[in-house]
Amino acid sequence: MRPFTYSRANDPASATKELAGNPNAKFLAGGTNLIDLMKEDVERPSAIVDISGLRLTEIKPIAAGFAKGGLSIGGLGKNTDAANHPLIRQNYPLLTQAILAGASGQIRNMATNGGNLLQRTRCPYFYEVAMPCNKREPGSGCGALEGVNRLHAIFGASEKCVAVYPSDMAIALAALDAIVKVKNASGQERSISFTDFHRLPGDTPERDTNLAHGELITSIDLPPNKFADKSYYLKVRDRASYAFALISVAAGLEMGSGNKIVQARIAMGGVAHKPWRALKAEQFLAGKEATAENFKRAADAEMADAKPLEHNKFKVELGNRSIVLALQMAMNGGKA
Amino acid sequence: MQDKNKLTGTPISRIDGIAKVTGKAAYSTDYPVKNLAYAVLFKSTIAAGTIRIIDTTAAEKAPGVLAVITHTNAPKLNVNGGIRGGALLQSPEIEFYGQHIGLVVAETFEQARYATHLINVTYDKKEPKVDFEKLAKEATLPKDKERADAKRGDAKAALRDAEYKVEQVYETPIEHHHPLEPHATIAEWNGDRVTLYNSSQIVNGAQSAAANTLNIKPEQVRIITPYIGGGFGSKGGQWANLVLTAVAAKQVNRPVKLALTRQQMVNSVGLRQRNHQKVSLAATKDGKLTALAHEITTHGAIKNEFVEPCGDCSKVMYDVPNSLITYRAVPMNVILPTYTRGPGKSTGSFALESAMDELAYALKMDPIELRIKNEPERDPSNGKPWSSRKAVDCLQVGAKAFGWEKRKAEPRQNQQGNYLIGYGVAAGTYPAHQRPTSAIVKLKRTGNDVMATVELAAADLGTGTYTILTQTAADALGLPLRNVKVVIGDSDLPPAAGAVGSVGAASYANAVNDACQKITDELLTRSGKQFFARPTASQLMLSEKLTEFQTRIDAKPLESAEEYSAHSFNANFAEVSVNRFTGMVRVNRFLAVTGAGTILNPKTARSQIIGGNIWGIGMALTEESILDPRWGNFVTRSFADYHVPANLDIGDMEAIFIREDDQKSNTLGVKGIGEVGIVGVAAAVANAVFNATGKRVRELPITPDKLL
Ligand SMILES: Cc1cc2nc3c(=O)[nH]c(=O)nc-3n(C[C@H](O)[C@H](O)[C@H](O)COP(=O)(O)OP(=O)(O)OC[C@H]3O[C@@H](n4cnc5c(N)ncnc54)[C@H](O)[C@@H]3O)c2cc1C
Repeated sequence: MRPFTYSRANDPASATKELAGNPNAKFLAGGTNLIDLMKEDVERPSAIVDISGLRLTEIKPIAAGFAKGGLSIGGLGKNTDAANHPLIRQNYPLLTQAILAGASGQIRNMATNGGNLLQRTRCPYFYEVAMPCNKREPGSGCGALEGVNRLHAIFGASEKCVAVYPSDMAIALAALDAIVKVKNASGQERSISFTDFHRLPGDTPERDTNLAHGELITSIDLPPNKFADKSYYLKVRDRASYAFALISVAAGLEMGSGNKIVQARIAMGGVAHKPWRALKAEQFLAGKEATAENFKRAADAEMADAKPLEHNKFKVELGNRSIVLALQMAMNGGKA
Repeated sequence: MQDKNKLTGTPISRIDGIAKVTGKAAYSTDYPVKNLAYAVLFKSTIAAGTIRIIDTTAAEKAPGVLAVITHTNAPKLNVNGGIRGGALLQSPEIEFYGQHIGLVVAETFEQARYATHLINVTYDKKEPKVDFEKLAKEATLPKDKERADAKRGDAKAALRDAEYKVEQVYETPIEHHHPLEPHATIAEWNGDRVTLYNSSQIVNGAQSAAANTLNIKPEQVRIITPYIGGGFGSKGGQWANLVLTAVAAKQVNRPVKLALTRQQMVNSVGLRQRNHQKVSLAATKDGKLTALAHEITTHGAIKNEFVEPCGDCSKVMYDVPNSLITYRAVPMNVILPTYTRGPGKSTGSFALESAMDELAYALKMDPIELRIKNEPERDPSNGKPWSSRKAVDCLQVGAKAFGWEKRKAEPRQNQQGNYLIGYGVAAGTYPAHQRPTSAIVKLKRTGNDVMATVELAAADLGTGTYTILTQTAADALGLPLRNVKVVIGDSDLPPAAGAVGSVGAASYANAVNDACQKITDELLTRSGKQFFARPTASQLMLSEKLTEFQTRIDAKPLESAEEYSAHSFNANFAEVSVNRFTGMVRVNRFLAVTGAGTILNPKTARSQIIGGNIWGIGMALTEESILDPRWGNFVTRSFADYHVPANLDIGDMEAIFIREDDQKSNTLGVKGIGEVGIVGVAAAVANAVFNATGKRVRELPITPDKLL
């Protein structure tokens, strides 16, 4: 860790202003990711602006706009509170499951919703500063490309970066078509659709998201959905809890009459540099019957484009099976 | 031995439990030493080569920095003084990635850590030797005589002529000990004497290693280590951090604290080596073993070698006329491998007991029956009679308690929803030894109250040493528990064995018992009276109206113990469920049945056994330290990457102890339970996975990808 200044912001305006004045300043929310990365010397902010006291913690129904009838979740609310809010448990159980599948009780008590979206990759080459990593140090190379890459991307990676994005919560948010609301130092607000929030690595893996420096996440808005009772978050990992996903699948099935699927929502974690919407599988399933065979064909359609690396070839088969299982579990309302 | 009127054998809670959960137990870095300075290590970022330039100018000028110590200015140390793993800042040579290359001492920890970022190192790199798969071909006979080829009969010929045989290779990865308390030291000099508050499993060993390495006398070093937050072998031998703290304290002329970070643990304090094990079993069609060959290939460090004895279980488990056990090792640019819970036995039993399961399956025989059929009457490796051996009882009692009869002989026959259920069994063993240990007992009477203090340089890893010694002394002196105080973990006390190799309980408890018997004898003699029944020491203190009395003993193992082969034995039973889509394995139930002689405290003993079982489950399913062969670094540097089992990974754990009176191995019949609990566990889980899925995974850990 390196020396830095610390200040506490009392309102969003002063918080964003402090950041606007210093390209090396960072917000501090729960600190569960930022502080760890500072101890590892990966993040080296010169100033820390503590936003944990901002009152952007409410969870409330949305009365107007695109997400009318949905729910707005404060950017500085705690993960635990979001997971356990009665309206979320009732209308967005997929989100509850995803949050509870991540980290540990203690960490979720500290972690904020905005911070969760901005947590950085767990790629070991990113974490160890002596290793090359284009995300940490642009131009230094990618240690994982030809290194130990069992946990890495099979979709949308580039020569520059094969890291995966680690959040569970965000995978559910992608399937829920959430909107990220942000505010900058001039007081301007903008809404970013979830699929546009995180980026693929391309030539600039140092940029995880399309958030501009100094923009503050004020809330995450969830539009209403019609699959609350037919949704499931599946997380496959090396141990039963407290491990990042090898593969995760957030699935929701909006059903019509008979056994027909009106619309499927499928997002995958552990496969790409961002939450991966399985659009091919979704397209395949629209209007089809919810059968084991169709689930399998949807999975085949999605996984056909996967480009595995030396150590993660298993993710293609595992991703396929996970889509099938998550859809099956969603159909059964979460029961095996 | 488990007498109703005794305190030993009863499940009392840990004596030190309250102190620990209330934060009053002082671990190495908790001592309120005044005027402390803080040291932070910095480490090499290459695995082989030499340091050309190490530029510390900026670091030295950084705020608060008191000293920067590297090979260019470190005092001369004795590199053969007993510190393991090198990295003593004595030369510019780099032998493994993450070797200590210096330390910064500063007023605060933060200042020291920051200054380490300001150091610039230029290396002359060499190609590191870390790719075990490639290097294995070059492996040769280890220097250690204990690892010489051990042959009995002609295993190769018997294998050639076998009616049935299994020949398979089993792979286990590098593992790390990762005790919850990372290694930490405070060093405080007082004239030419240094006190080292340091987590040490072998108190006197740490003392002599530190003294020899610092080129001073053992009397000049005092080790204080009343509490240890786990060690699992990594705090048995001592590593450079201990001595470098003393060097730093001398250099800055004030006390210094040095604690390793979790990330630094992977290349500072040893590891469990990577093992490639070929096991060949031959048997008649009715399941009598005719040959057992266990051929092990592994690695050491570049200059030194440590080869864990993976063939040990194969030497003693089964009655087989033809046996071959061989070791080959190749130097690698990694930190020196070292003792790791159940050294060799835990990893070796994975190979042997998986192969036994494979043989049972080939023979269409129950794996328990196969084992019982090959039960040896004497120790096959040396012909000695067993001091006691409850291997068959363990299997039979376990089978009954576990509901083994519900197991389907063919795999994939037990499906419940999305899960495949399987049962597995595996046996294990660990040798039992008592080591020389001295102890002092002091009695003090105030009115009608007699207090006893027992002192010895023993170590409590967190396992319950305080508790069992309190129980032992209370019984032997005729006192209630609260009148006994146990003082350990200080090299100024009478020298004792280490809490290593499962010898702690046997060595300490026998020494304490001997000391208490001796003090009673002395009190009897002093009284000059004849008694109908032997009085207790506390009765004698009262009747003789003594206020203070003490004695010391230098306890030694029974000479007759040498005539026997003394081991603990166990049988492990696992029920797993495997998600047939994702390959995720869960151990629903685990039962370990152990015959380990006298159980001094069933509660702390159970904790020991299930703790070993849980690590064994970790070995089976999750734990692996992964090297990048290009740089020789571990990519698994934290608990986010190195997966020890979490609560949710562990189902119902049950431990049963078989009653075993074994006065042949030592007076109290204590055999030790620290390590046997991990032996056979990984095989039981892997065998259960086979029973569930029909997939035989011979390469640990069994992660979901291996079961797709
Ligand atoms: C051991 C461990 C295990 C974990 N396991 C999992 C897991 O299995 N699954 C999972 O999903 N996560 C896991 N996590 C990650 C955890 O969820 C994140 O660390 C946490 O959500 C981050 O939130 P925070 O509030 O602490 O963020 P901080 O660390 O405070 O901030 C993270 C980043 O976000 C920025 N930031 C924070 N809030 C805002 C805001 N409102 N506007 C703009 N920028 C902001 C900060 O500047 C910083 O760059 C784990 C973490 C740990 C330590």
